[in-house]
Amino acid sequence: MSVERISTAHAYDSALNNLMSRQDNLTATQEQMTSGKRVIKASDDPTAAARAERARALEDRTTASERAVNASSNAMTLTESALGDAGELMQQARELLVSAGDASYSDAERASKADALKAIRDQLLAVANRPDGQGGYIFSGQGSGGAPFVDKPGGVAFQGVGGQVNVASDEPLPLTLDGGNIWLAANTGNGVFVTKNTNSSNAWIDAGRVTAPDQLTSSTYDIQFSAGGGPTTYTVLKDGNPVSSGNAFTSGQQITVDGMSFAISGQPANGDDFQLTPSTRSLSVFDALDNAVKQLSTPDQGGPKVQQAVQDSIRNIDQCASQISSARSFAGTTLQRLDGVKGRLDATELSAQTSRSNAEDLDMVKALSSFNSQQTGYQAALQSYATIQKLSLFNYLNA
Amino acid sequence: MTSSALMSIGMRAMFANYASMQTTGHNIANAQTPGYSRQTVELATSGGQQTGAGFFGKGVDVVTVRRATDQFLNTQSQVASSMAAMDDARSTNLQQLETVFPPGDTGMGAAVGTFMNSFVDLANSPADSSARQVILTNAAEVADRFSTAGAQLDRLQAGVTQDLRNSVAQVNQLASQIAKLNYDIAGLRGSGQSPNDLLDQRDQMVKQLGNLVKVSTITANDGSMGVFIAGGQRLVLGAEAQQLAVTPDPANSGRSTISMSDDGVQHELSTDLLVGGTISGLMKYQNEDLVAARNQLGQMAASVAARVNQVQGHGIDLGSPPGAGDPLFAVGGPIAIPNAHNARDAAGGFASQVTLTVTDGSQLKASDYTLAADPASGGSFIVTRQSDNVKFSMAPDGSGGFQYTRQSDGAAMGGSIDGFQISFTGTPAATDTFELEPVGRAAISMVRTLDDPAGIAAASPMTAVMGVNNKGTATVGGLSVVSSTNDPTLTAAINFTDANGNYSYTLTDPLGNVTASGGGTWTPGQPISLNGLALDLNGVPGAGDTISIAKTAHPESNNGNALAMVALRDENFVGRDMQIDGSVQDGESATDAYASLLANVGVRVQSAKTASTISAATSEQADQAVANKSGVNLDEEAGRLIQFQQGYQAAAKVLQVAQAIFDTLLQMAGH
Repeated sequence: MSVERISTAHAYDSALNNLMSRQDNLTATQEQMTSGKRVIKASDDPTAAARAERARALEDRTTASERAVNASSNAMTLTESALGDAGELMQQARELLVSAGDASYSDAERASKADALKAIRDQLLAVANRPDGQGGYIFSGQGSGGAPFVDKPGGVAFQGVGGQVNVASDEPLPLTLDGGNIWLAANTGNGVFVTKNTNSSNAWIDAGRVTAPDQLTSSTYDIQFSAGGGPTTYTVLKDGNPVSSGNAFTSGQQITVDGMSFAISGQPANGDDFQLTPSTRSLSVFDALDNAVKQLSTPDQGGPKVQQAVQDSIRNIDQCASQISSARSFAGTTLQRLDGVKGRLDATELSAQTSRSNAEDLDMVKALSSFNSQQTGYQAALQSYATIQKLSLFNYLNA
Repeated sequence: MTSSALMSIGMRAMFANYASMQTTGHNIANAQTPGYSRQTVELATSGGQQTGAGFFGKGVDVVTVRRATDQFLNTQSQVASSMAAMDDARSTNLQQLETVFPPGDTGMGAAVGTFMNSFVDLANSPADSSARQVILTNAAEVADRFSTAGAQLDRLQAGVTQDLRNSVAQVNQLASQIAKLNYDIAGLRGSGQSPNDLLDQRDQMVKQLGNLVKVSTITANDGSMGVFIAGGQRLVLGAEAQQLAVTPDPANSGRSTISMSDDGVQHELSTDLLVGGTISGLMKYQNEDLVAARNQLGQMAASVAARVNQVQGHGIDLGSPPGAGDPLFAVGGPIAIPNAHNARDAAGGFASQVTLTVTDGSQLKASDYTLAADPASGGSFIVTRQSDNVKFSMAPDGSGGFQYTRQSDGAAMGGSIDGFQISFTGTPAATDTFELEPVGRAAISMVRTLDDPAGIAAASPMTAVMGVNNKGTATVGGLSVVSSTNDPTLTAAINFTDANGNYSYTLTDPLGNVTASGGGTWTPGQPISLNGLALDLNGVPGAGDTISIAKTAHPESNNGNALAMVALRDENFVGRDMQIDGSVQDGESATDAYASLLANVGVRVQSAKTASTISAATSEQADQAVANKSGVNLDEEAGRLIQFQQGYQAAAKVLQVAQAIFDTLLQMAGH
């Protein structure tokens, strides 16, 4: 007869092993619940641990990128406000110049305007050299050994290196702007060509404008006047070669040559010459103001010369102001872009945090219910052990 | 027909029942003794006496005391227990290994990430000395974590050696005890009865021995048991036991192996044949898991240090005068270990040594290598990569170096293999072998070598400026130094000749002489390369546009090299692979490499835990089968006790009756 035997010692051992393993599971669940994490060491779930690690690295990275974006944002805010100040100064300079064109002013009055312009010029230099609060300068480009703009005998020079310094981000976000570009590289003339009064003290030429862009050439044009004995006429020379001559001249009337249109006013004398050359990007705002100051301070200029000086200066100031203004709008749009970048970084950080949480955090509801069922199982095991060990034949044998 | 027959029957019965009760008592007493087999008294009739009236039985005889044991179940249980011990040893040790690589903020990946991220702050203000100090502190933390992890691995190795020593001491003790038992059992063979308790003891010791190292047993005719390990090496034969010892592995003195002393000569046991027991689990852990962990850690340390130092060397620091940046990290160098059996010179040192040189830290693999002479061609060698058993041929190239070829597909690896080169001092003998560890010692010796904050090279050596009168929309996207052939004193002037990206360039030295000129075509997304530089452009250059690249005039305001360090976060420079066509395939980024390392160790631990659970369950089942066969059930013994007590009482009654009959006879005769 084969009976299923059970060894007593083994039965006890086996029951104890079960109790120990249940207790072990219970403790593990408890550890998960107290730490709130499902993955405490890598072996709990290796792929989730690797995922959580990568998500954490991304989180750290976006935090660092946010610092970079903040640095750029601070710099651009400073820059934008500095350029705003510069714009206002340019506006003041323009008003001064317009008022200096008043024909009734005396030399002394013009000289006082010139002094005011000089003060504005010095303030503009200070704005161009404005520091960024961290030991650098906001218009230093790719670096300068000290203040980027220095007064030299030939005019103000840019000591820095062109270009801009960017922060560590995936798209170019600037920390500095190229000062040379903004302050020293406005377009001469009216942006396309430059009108210049070479030697006339009796007439002046305005800034001119483009009427037919397709007819423009890059030649140098001269308008030479012959007067005396009869109506005043002028010859148009292109690169030194006469193109037309004997043109009748009326003061203030538009003259058009090869798509360029300009007006000469006053009474040009014989041999007066006006020159038109293509624009270059070489107009320094400081030179423009220095020029204006020099012209207005010179006494006994005579009406036409004053007119010419004022016209030229206003034209230059306008070009410089537009250069500064476009730099300001660049700074402004960069600030807008930075807002967008910040928004994207926030979204990336949130997604990294979510990904990390999904990978390693504990689902508390699931954990609580499995803890309860493990607890019940453990209780049942304990009770059954206590009951069974009371059953023995020896209890029922007398003597 | 005498009363003496009845008396002898009674006495025999009493003796038989008494013996049964004694054995039952012995069973009850030993119910908890491990390894005890339940004993039962075997009874047989004493045969019958032939008389004219039939055969009359003479009572009962006790034949023997038999222990309830099944050799097959015992062997099965012992084998299962041996496997369970091996898996358990490996699982426990792997869980210790896991603590060396924590996930999250305390791990090495987090330290490297923080270090690289701190260059963002330096890029924001290159002259800020506090940002530089933070970088140095973070660098020290990186070096610290790697070296601590390396030291922990070394301690784990020492722990393994110690555990092996303890286990081997136990093995030796058990072996000698088994030998003694063999002697006793063989001596008692002559008595014709089996010495049950001694046999039980011997079985129990064999099982304990099996928990330490897998054994197979053969029982001889004289009752002694021969114990064999490692595929046939005799540990115990008759009354003689051999001794095991823990000795340094001849191939790699950093590791231990087991050897057996046979008549005074020690020879190593092959690890492949030690397939069960704690010792086998420890050996597997030491030779596979510890080695893999150490190599992966070392690969990460070596490649991070190499790449960071390279970028640091391409930049300009704040020294006076500013110069190329000094290395930031130093790691342990590659080592080559000669086999203990290699040829030696007269002084006792090795006749030939091997030196390894690292040529490209980012191509180092996480593996050890074996170097041996190529039997097919003299002067050539074969290098085997141990992680995946890929073999490379190493042939002299005529100028003192070697050319390497991958044997599986004949791919030419060039003058270096997996980022390092091999060179010899002395001539190795044909039987010499060496174990190469290019990254094994890298992590433990990692230190920060730069202490001066001004030594961090944040500035680029050269700066690119677009021409003021440029008509196109191109701006400088980035300028980076890509090779040390860069000469910062040469100024480059690039002139775009048309709107399709064609350009010409000149390189001018400080005296104004043109040292080089050339041309090329720019394509969007590709950098312009000249003078060891790579210039990236955003936008499109127009005809007549110019770019000037000159030496950086103000290194304290330039953050070009800091940006290059930040870009390392995305660069997959750990474990690059050289392809057949000479191109280099990307590896992993530093943080991804750590995530893989974590996952790798985690998978090992997880599978070891599962294996341990399964083999423990199997062992438990086998133990239960043995216990059910050989174990004592107290209720059963209690029942039998009563049974034999009644039998004894009945037998005593028989004696009593026999005595009464005798008295009656005497009375009859006495009158």
